[in-house]
Amino acid sequence: MTDYLIDSPITLAKHIGQSRDLWQLKENDSGERGWQLSAPEIFSALRSPDAMESAKQFFFAPRENIFQFDGNQFRESLPAPEPFALVGVSSCDLTAIAYQDHFFRDDPHYQARRQQALLVGYECLSPCAKGFCPSVDAGPGAREGSADLVLHQLQEDQWLLRVLTDTGARALEGLVLEKAGDAAQTQRHNQIEACIEAFPDDSHIHAGIEAINSNSVAQETWDAAGIQCLSCSGCTTLCPTCSCYGTSDHTTGDTMIRERFWDSCLYDGFQREASQNNPAGAAGDRVRRFWYHKFSREFFQASDNPGPADRYGCVGCGRCEVTCPGVIGVHSMMKKITE
Amino acid sequence: MQSLVPEPIEILSGVEDGEAARHFRFRFCGQSDSNLKKWQSTRPGQFFMLSVPGAGEAPFTFTTLPNAQGEFSALVRRMGQVTGALFERKPGYTLGARGPFGHGWPVTDGDTEKVLTEKALIVGGGCGLAPLVSLVEHLINSGTPPVALVYGARTAAAQVLNPERKRWQSQLPLFDIVQQGNGCQYRGTPLDLLPEVLNQVGEPERVFLCGPEIMMHTVAEFFVQRGLPASAIWMSIERRMHCATGTCGHCYLEHQYVCKDGPTYRWDKLAPLLARSSGAGALADFHC
Repeated sequence: MTDYLIDSPITLAKHIGQSRDLWQLKENDSGERGWQLSAPEIFSALRSPDAMESAKQFFFAPRENIFQFDGNQFRESLPAPEPFALVGVSSCDLTAIAYQDHFFRDDPHYQARRQQALLVGYECLSPCAKGFCPSVDAGPGAREGSADLVLHQLQEDQWLLRVLTDTGARALEGLVLEKAGDAAQTQRHNQIEACIEAFPDDSHIHAGIEAINSNSVAQETWDAAGIQCLSCSGCTTLCPTCSCYGTSDHTTGDTMIRERFWDSCLYDGFQREASQNNPAGAAGDRVRRFWYHKFSREFFQASDNPGPADRYGCVGCGRCEVTCPGVIGVHSMMKKITE
Repeated sequence: MQSLVPEPIEILSGVEDGEAARHFRFRFCGQSDSNLKKWQSTRPGQFFMLSVPGAGEAPFTFTTLPNAQGEFSALVRRMGQVTGALFERKPGYTLGARGPFGHGWPVTDGDTEKVLTEKALIVGGGCGLAPLVSLVEHLINSGTPPVALVYGARTAAAQVLNPERKRWQSQLPLFDIVQQGNGCQYRGTPLDLLPEVLNQVGEPERVFLCGPEIMMHTVAEFFVQRGLPASAIWMSIERRMHCATGTCGHCYLEHQYVCKDGPTYRWDKLAPLLARSSGAGALADFHC
């Protein structure tokens, strides 16, 4: 693939926006950054993607209809979105999308949305507040194949535009750009290395991962964390790789629909059966399993699992640390289990 | 792609069979031959997701596997929202089914498809007898009936699958035991009865279990203590499920999903998972 130089992401957005809906991270009226539909003419300058909202909802919808039933037949309700582009997805979130692409590879609802998407990545030049993407092989450089196009800022008015897929190359057709030379690639490499160097000490993350994989964490530690867990689902909602869902039926007139919706494995009733038997009735066990899911090598090495690609379930975005009111987000928890 | 959309089935009949339990007969509506072939490939011990529109969906085992006419049976105990609604539906009502799902009982050699002929002993508890029915029938029809079937229930009134057990009386040694009340030859739990059963029929070479998990665990350990390899003990476990495709997460057991990796497990594989998942190590003393 050929990489290019481009003066501004806005130039790219205006070109892509001719054939796709454009989404970018912007502040809302409350000052919170989130994904907003942004017409080419109002597309604003990109800055660090640092946002609590990941791109998960674009593919794995928070709530969606699965089918409707008319009394005789079940009719699938597949989404049919227009082609769209997410411009400015951080490398950690791109890794999370690749992870979920694998997990939901046989899910028709996920794939119907995913196949309409063009992913334009954004490589961060400095660490975000709680992020640790280099520790879990998720950034700050975008991983091969995780995006269609990737933007990397070189100068105020010069960006390296990397092309990672054929879809990305097709999206650039008609746009006249200068090919990037070795100097641009070297600068990118150096800036990413500098960014990695700037991350704070992550020894507690590595030590925590090893403790989890050797099953050497005391049950008392998990039980104590279980007391601190409020089952608020903040972490599982914001986590870009969390994928649990529930289903519920709703009837209107003669038509019934079945919805699926984001669920949380940290809810007390997540595994409770109709008999009231609850295999995960202890909060400490639920917290343990949540972190085990994120960091256990056994989980992604299980050959029969439909699930994770060959990587940890955590991409180092740090959102759980920021949102958790019980102070058992990733940094806090990994420090607790290695104390 | 793994669809979450059910295929329509209709209720043919529902026969009361035990306390708050009903044995349902279903039939697929307007299925293509290729689709029926998929359902006819169902193995004993596999399960399907039963949709009761408006109430939801839940996993149930087959008591009789889908036949060439697309008919199959399931024993259902009235317990929650889905089963509560099912019991209100009359014959002719349209429901939905997805499947078949999961790993069934190991009734044949995985490589040769040859029917396994080890001396099999089966222990069921309560409604847990349901996943064992198609296994018992398979072994009988294969000419290698179980050396014994031990069936425990809380009371005589709570015993399920009464016509089947009556029929089996002439085909294999059947030991019924209840914990409370009269109406049964033996009083206690299957574990209490096993020494006497083994005196009569000898030691089994393979054991199949289904019932309350604590019953399965203690019976499995009973046989391990007697020298039966844990790898010769199989059990079917129950978990909440919303998809049966390994994505909703509800049936997780450590790094596995019961809908994909189970619901039947070999004891030497299952016990370590349970020991870890139960946290405090309540099962850590199992010897596998």
